[in-house]
Amino acid sequence: MKNTKARNASGYMFLTPWLLGFFLLAIGPILVSLYLSFTRYDMVGDPRWTGFDNYIYMFTRDRRFWKTLEVTFHYVLFAVPLRLIMALSVAMLLDKGLRTIGLYRAIFYLPSLLGASIAIAILWRQLFSIDGVVNQVLAVVGIQGVGWITNPSTSIYTLIILAIWQFGAPMLIFLAGLRGIPRDLYEAADIDGTSRFRKFYAITLPMLAPVVFFNLVLQIIEAFKIFSPAFIISNGTGGPADSLLVYTVYLFNEAFKFFRMGYASALAWVLLLIIGLFTALAFATSKYWVHYENERD
Amino acid sequence: MNATEAALAEKELDEAARVAHEYRLAKNKRERRARLFKHIFLIFFSFIMLYPLLWLLASSLKPENEIFGSLGLWPSTFNWSNYSEGWEALPVSFTIFYRNSTIVTVLCVLGNLFSCSFAAYAFARLEFTGKRLFFGLMMMTLMIPYHVVLIPQYVMFLKLGWVDTYLPLIVPRFLASDGFFIFLMVQFFRQIPRELDEAAQIDGCSSFKIYWAVILPLSLPALATSAIFSMIWVWEDFLAPLIYLNDIQNYTVPLALRLFIAQEGESAFGQMFAMSVLSLVPVVIFFVAFQKLIVRGIATSGMK
Amino acid sequence: MAVSRRKFLTTTGGLALAAGLPAMPALAQDRSIRHFWWGNPERDKRTFEVIEIFDKNHPGISVSGETIGWGDYWTKMATQTAGRNMADLVQMDYRFLFEYVRRGALQELDPFIGNGLDLSNFDKGPLQGGMVDGKLYALNIGSNSQVFVYNEAIFEEAGVADTDVINWTWDQFADVCKTITEATGGKVKGSDDCSVVLEVCEVWIRQNGSSFFGPDGDVTVTPDIIADYWQFWRDLRAEGALRSADKSLDANLPMSDVGIVSGDTAISNFWSNQIVGVQALMQDPVGAAMVPHKEGGDPGQFIKPSMFMSLTRDSEDPEAAIMYMNDWINNPEATKVLGLERGIPANPDVRAALAPDFTPAERVSVDYFNAIQDKVGTLPPPEPKGAGEVRDAFIRAATNVVLGDIEPQQAAEVFVDDAQAIIDRAR
Repeated sequence: MKNTKARNASGYMFLTPWLLGFFLLAIGPILVSLYLSFTRYDMVGDPRWTGFDNYIYMFTRDRRFWKTLEVTFHYVLFAVPLRLIMALSVAMLLDKGLRTIGLYRAIFYLPSLLGASIAIAILWRQLFSIDGVVNQVLAVVGIQGVGWITNPSTSIYTLIILAIWQFGAPMLIFLAGLRGIPRDLYEAADIDGTSRFRKFYAITLPMLAPVVFFNLVLQIIEAFKIFSPAFIISNGTGGPADSLLVYTVYLFNEAFKFFRMGYASALAWVLLLIIGLFTALAFATSKYWVHYENERD
Repeated sequence: MNATEAALAEKELDEAARVAHEYRLAKNKRERRARLFKHIFLIFFSFIMLYPLLWLLASSLKPENEIFGSLGLWPSTFNWSNYSEGWEALPVSFTIFYRNSTIVTVLCVLGNLFSCSFAAYAFARLEFTGKRLFFGLMMMTLMIPYHVVLIPQYVMFLKLGWVDTYLPLIVPRFLASDGFFIFLMVQFFRQIPRELDEAAQIDGCSSFKIYWAVILPLSLPALATSAIFSMIWVWEDFLAPLIYLNDIQNYTVPLALRLFIAQEGESAFGQMFAMSVLSLVPVVIFFVAFQKLIVRGIATSGMK
Repeated sequence: MAVSRRKFLTTTGGLALAAGLPAMPALAQDRSIRHFWWGNPERDKRTFEVIEIFDKNHPGISVSGETIGWGDYWTKMATQTAGRNMADLVQMDYRFLFEYVRRGALQELDPFIGNGLDLSNFDKGPLQGGMVDGKLYALNIGSNSQVFVYNEAIFEEAGVADTDVINWTWDQFADVCKTITEATGGKVKGSDDCSVVLEVCEVWIRQNGSSFFGPDGDVTVTPDIIADYWQFWRDLRAEGALRSADKSLDANLPMSDVGIVSGDTAISNFWSNQIVGVQALMQDPVGAAMVPHKEGGDPGQFIKPSMFMSLTRDSEDPEAAIMYMNDWINNPEATKVLGLERGIPANPDVRAALAPDFTPAERVSVDYFNAIQDKVGTLPPPEPKGAGEVRDAFIRAATNVVLGDIEPQQAAEVFVDDAQAIIDRAR
């Protein structure tokens, strides 16, 4: 009994900053947004209680809600795996050898540093315009390009390419993870003459699983919440024929452009449920493929 | 052993040496070629990755009316004045914006590292009632779209009288507001062998001592990664400063960059690009310095 | 169930307050007001200079200037409105004015007229634009109108430089577009495609004797008129005289991507206060043309306030704020600093005083403005709630037309229905 108490004491001691932050700063606004999702609130007057109206409207009458779900899922489906594969391959390439590795790391991180700035928006629009660099390169191999961003059927892919190209953050995390794998495991494998492929499956992947898991969960969350790139590339509109209308851009416009904060809050809670579902799935499956060093639970 | 046999044996030895030598040569050659390919690939790849920066640099040097009309990277004339004039183009000098950004960033990075590693240690290594619940709540704060908590949060900080100060930007970081870093560190802390804690515990170390003397030193790559991310994200953060800072004297660099672009009338793209290039300098320096810390941990090579 | 404002705020703030965190003391200042505007480096410099002048002339009152770019301005404004912490004076746009007035965020200015606010020398037309339901809520600090900006060098090259671009008709416009396309061998097309541009469509609608919204805020335009508009552009596209379709789908292009600036076309539409900005991005000189007229039709174009200054509900010292506002339009020291940067000033004396110092591009815009004075119609009735969303719906519908996915007539019918549904929902 005393043991539990002591354990709790030190647990809570370390958790104090977070507990303070959560209960003083975070939970209040979150609960308010939940409350607002049941109201009509134009941000000038007072919120008016409307029960489930927002949610009913969303699922029965809002055509753009389904469109934005479609766009968002499309994005998540492509961006998450491709970005992770890119980040992992480059991280493994950069993990060893080569003296100039620090330089390459910095170079590969650069696109991510530019983030979702105005500069990136302008660059992207130029690159993928009908007479932009991308089409010039394609013309060399005889492909006639289109205006990639302004064409509703291709614009989402420019966003996906941007996400892949900005793989710096997951790459860095993979690198840190790779550095945590004991060298002697590889040395032992070398002595046994294990193939490179086999080493990857037998050593790297299992040892890296906790980090892969982290990146997977975070990329899913971030991809569902993608805002800035879509917002700046489409100039805040959601692109031609709503083809870049990812969920949070829709939510943002509902709130700040059309003064429907109540409805936007309802949208947010639905998104939270969707993300929560996928994250929970990831956590549930992690039992089977993520094992922690010497952990016995 | 007769002479013929001896000669034969010698020949065989020679043969063996030659084969071995050739094998080594071939292996070296193969390795060298592999390394060359790797380099060529990396250089080509680097160009794709560097293109935006080159473009940004070029645009920052081009005359205003050339930025959009021409596709070439090379400016017709080098307009260095975008840098000198851009620095002073706004009502407040960029010197002030850099000072403000530095204050906010330094404090936020420190806050993030301390508070998040605290929470992560609790989640990764300690047992206490409600751990799973709190962890779930922490993950929830990562998932909620920021834009809908913006207004209640603004109202809250307004009531506290914190609007137009740096407190709304800094205080939450000292209270582990960013679950990303907690989760990241949890994943790394859990990889550290338990035997180390147990040994320390047997030696009579307090949990704080274990956190400080065992966990932190062994998590250098994770801490360096967190430092890099929090530096970059705080330095580039735009939305919170936009909402909470009113007086232009308090603006941070990303906020100032937004002052260059107008809906109507004259924008100053060249100067904006020049200042964007400069705003990357501290981040790149920080990145290069801290990525060196992402090294092989001591524990992982020493432990058997 | 309506939770009172105060209760709503205390529940949010209460959690944090419970921790007993100290509030920062307000800075001791006799009287202080805040002015918030969207800007650019030039405008910010000028405005801060005016603030300095005001501070110097009015010891005891200090003005704090707050500025940010257009895109972020409205996010911040909405947040401050929700927090009941709006600046005393805010810059307003015609599109948002009614939204903010209807929701009660702005104060009426009528009580101050002749009582701190001197409007005796202010043009009547521009003053009208700031009125909602017969009351003045916003002071015009610059006027504006649609303009077709054209590339003079290319007009010269194509031999169409002597076109009367103030009085031209849609037919003449179409001919000019075709001539230019031919003369340049298709390298430069005649014009941007304005199918997605609601502002130009609105001019077309008014030329046909209709209006987009009726006085009660309902959608009054008939689908036929909009279909004709889209058909006009479609025909011109079939002739090859317009910018490529996939560059014609975005009505919010950054200035740099618009056809005339990128060199794709000879004519693009803008607001008249953008002429100076367009010229700055271009090497060839530009000229200003009216939106083409309908032969025998009504005047379609109108002069619209480009920017307002409004007094907000949250102002604690309206008197000081009005003093500042008055200086803006009447104090020669201030108006000289402000110049034409925000649009054409509504005070004739101010215009006369500024004339000698105009740059060529400023001269083009002022001349244009003077030339159109008697060719324009009255300001349309204020836009109803939801008009912003209708604009987005228009762009979506027009996009499908430009792409050829749907016939103009059908698209117009669907759009008009959608527009009315949006207005109904916003009520």
